[in-house]
Amino acid sequence: MNTTPAEPILRVEGLCKHYGARRSMFQAAAAPIRAVDGVDFAIQPGETFGLVGESGCGKTTLGRCIARALDPTSGRILYKRPGGADGEEPVDLATLSPSGMRPYRRDLQMIFQDPITSLNPRMSLLDIIGEPIVINGIAKGRAVRDMVADLLEQVGLRADHMTRYPHAFSGGQRQRIGIARALGLSPRFIVCDEPVSALDVSVQAQILNLLQDLQASRQLTYLFIAHDLGVIEYICDRVAVMYVGQVVELASNEALFSRPLHPYTEALMAAVPVPDPAARREAAVLEGELANAANPPSGCTFHPRCRYRTEACKTTRPALREVVPGHFVRCHRAEELTLAGPSDYVAREARP
Amino acid sequence: MTAEATTSEIGDEGAVAVPAAVGKVVSPARLTWWKFRRHRLAVASLVFLIAAYLVTLFASFVSPSSPSTRSRYLYAPPQSVHLFDKDGTFRGPFVYGYRMSRDPKTMRLVYADDPSRIFPLALFVRGETHEVLGLFETDLHLFGAPGGYVFLAGTDAFGRDMLSRLLHGAQISLSVGMISVLLSLVLGLLIGGVSGLFGGRIDTVIQRIIEAIIAIPTIPLWLGLAAAVPRDWPPVYQYFAILLVLSLVSWTSTARVARGRFLALREQDFVTAARVYGAGWFRIIARHLVPNLMSYVIVTLTLAIPGIIIGETALSFLGVGLKPPTVSWGVLLQEAQKIQTITFYPWLWIGPAACVVSIVLAFNFLGDGARDAADPFSR
Repeated sequence: MNTTPAEPILRVEGLCKHYGARRSMFQAAAAPIRAVDGVDFAIQPGETFGLVGESGCGKTTLGRCIARALDPTSGRILYKRPGGADGEEPVDLATLSPSGMRPYRRDLQMIFQDPITSLNPRMSLLDIIGEPIVINGIAKGRAVRDMVADLLEQVGLRADHMTRYPHAFSGGQRQRIGIARALGLSPRFIVCDEPVSALDVSVQAQILNLLQDLQASRQLTYLFIAHDLGVIEYICDRVAVMYVGQVVELASNEALFSRPLHPYTEALMAAVPVPDPAARREAAVLEGELANAANPPSGCTFHPRCRYRTEACKTTRPALREVVPGHFVRCHRAEELTLAGPSDYVAREARP
Repeated sequence: MTAEATTSEIGDEGAVAVPAAVGKVVSPARLTWWKFRRHRLAVASLVFLIAAYLVTLFASFVSPSSPSTRSRYLYAPPQSVHLFDKDGTFRGPFVYGYRMSRDPKTMRLVYADDPSRIFPLALFVRGETHEVLGLFETDLHLFGAPGGYVFLAGTDAFGRDMLSRLLHGAQISLSVGMISVLLSLVLGLLIGGVSGLFGGRIDTVIQRIIEAIIAIPTIPLWLGLAAAVPRDWPPVYQYFAILLVLSLVSWTSTARVARGRFLALREQDFVTAARVYGAGWFRIIARHLVPNLMSYVIVTLTLAIPGIIIGETALSFLGVGLKPPTVSWGVLLQEAQKIQTITFYPWLWIGPAACVVSIVLAFNFLGDGARDAADPFSR
């Protein structure tokens, strides 16, 4: 959990990903969309770091930048291989060329949200799971087959499934195939981009448990992206809340869920349904829409939707401050506000 | 392999959706074929087209004579095949000879059956020598009337057998569609692929060029280009020149489909996954993109063939495509420009017109079936 900070496996500094700043032939130059706009955090080896926020807040873009499926616009992604020599300097993944990135591809893998589009429908499981192994020169020929068989069994599928094609599998099974593909390279860090959002609730629990088991047996570190607070609370050690490309709150799981310090976090938690028809609560319901990332509001980006806004919020942008040790928040009024966490409501939804 | 229906150690939604053939691995290609087979009309069209292409391939063997052999029976109507003679006795398949006379008013040749002359039809008869597939010479024909003559589709102004001319014309008309479509496949995949993969300015430029080509009315464009083909070129050169003219327009639709698919596939998670595990662009294109877009391209091509066949027919009909003595359906249809042909000798244009219509319809049905089968959302 939030133990004494060892050397982080991954440190993100001022990471930005902006889209569409270029002028095209027939269009006037538009303001760039700031999908990710200056994000800082550090992830410790072996932890599950949660990233939560509304659709469109930039959490997926951030995850893809870290896995270098996208090239960040600016900022640094410092990766330090665990177990490396003490004096070993972390590598900045953000600036590596494709060929320079190659040795680190094995360490950093990704699991995707959509079990349909994440598997090539024209390839058998042997090819899907075997391709990364072959490309990265881990095994050849017969050995690939054995490795794939082993991986399939590790994720709870049968070895003889390897000749089949993805269409023969259910959503949960396809997600297992995606996990097996990521595991083939023996990665140390996996970006899980909403791995259970597209699954039935009953299957979600199985996949989450599988991820936890694999983390324990293979000493994995996860960046876990989700919009479901229940899932986040269940699996994460520390959680960052994102709003319009920025981290607005970062704390340990307990701290965040017992006493959120940012009004946005409070509103997110209030939006979680309580399965009790008699329960009535003062809902801190969010008004309005997610701010436009191409033209974010002045001052605090959350102020147009905030119940607690003051004049200062409209003009000055708050910085991410450590209000309580280990608990960072981007709000001017963090100290004075007493916000409601989920425990303040009548009952919490029973979650896996 | 999987005798039991459930996969108990996988707690997920349970049984794998395996059709009746339990334990058999079903590839996506086989699934597509299963779906295609449900489309009866498309399957019938496929069989018809395969038969048509086979007959065309061996046109010189199937046809009773060469397309340029003249006879003394000018503008003779099609003979009909009989099994019983006028007295009702069974004679096997045979045709009657013609009884020629002239209409005293119009001086037109008039034909009637001559019951006294019976030409029995036979299979594998000796006749004119011809080359099969350009490989070997033979004088064997599929059928004929030894000692007589047979014109099952009538004759033209020079007494040439229309059936033989139709079959030889099919060689040009059907191959134009195939070869031209292959040309547009290569052009379309290449240009559309570059456009979709690189995007940005290259994409914009290519798309504007395609729009400009599409905006030009095809018939005048074809006419202009075909008119530029030198008249003294040998027929083979002219044939390839016309092919190029036709492909010049048809590649644009293939390129658009390829571009759209490349754009859509490029954003799919399995491509992102391949990048994350370090696959190079060449491998991504060859292993992940092209196999997933081939079905769409094949469908577009199938639907493009009829357009090209009609294009060749139109050009030749208008007299700027292929010219006699080359035989194609369009060249044969030039006859339909004469009012006498339309009124007095309908077999001269009904034959080629029926051929064009049936082939084009078959390709359209086949394309429809293929499109439904390739559509992943109809699964």
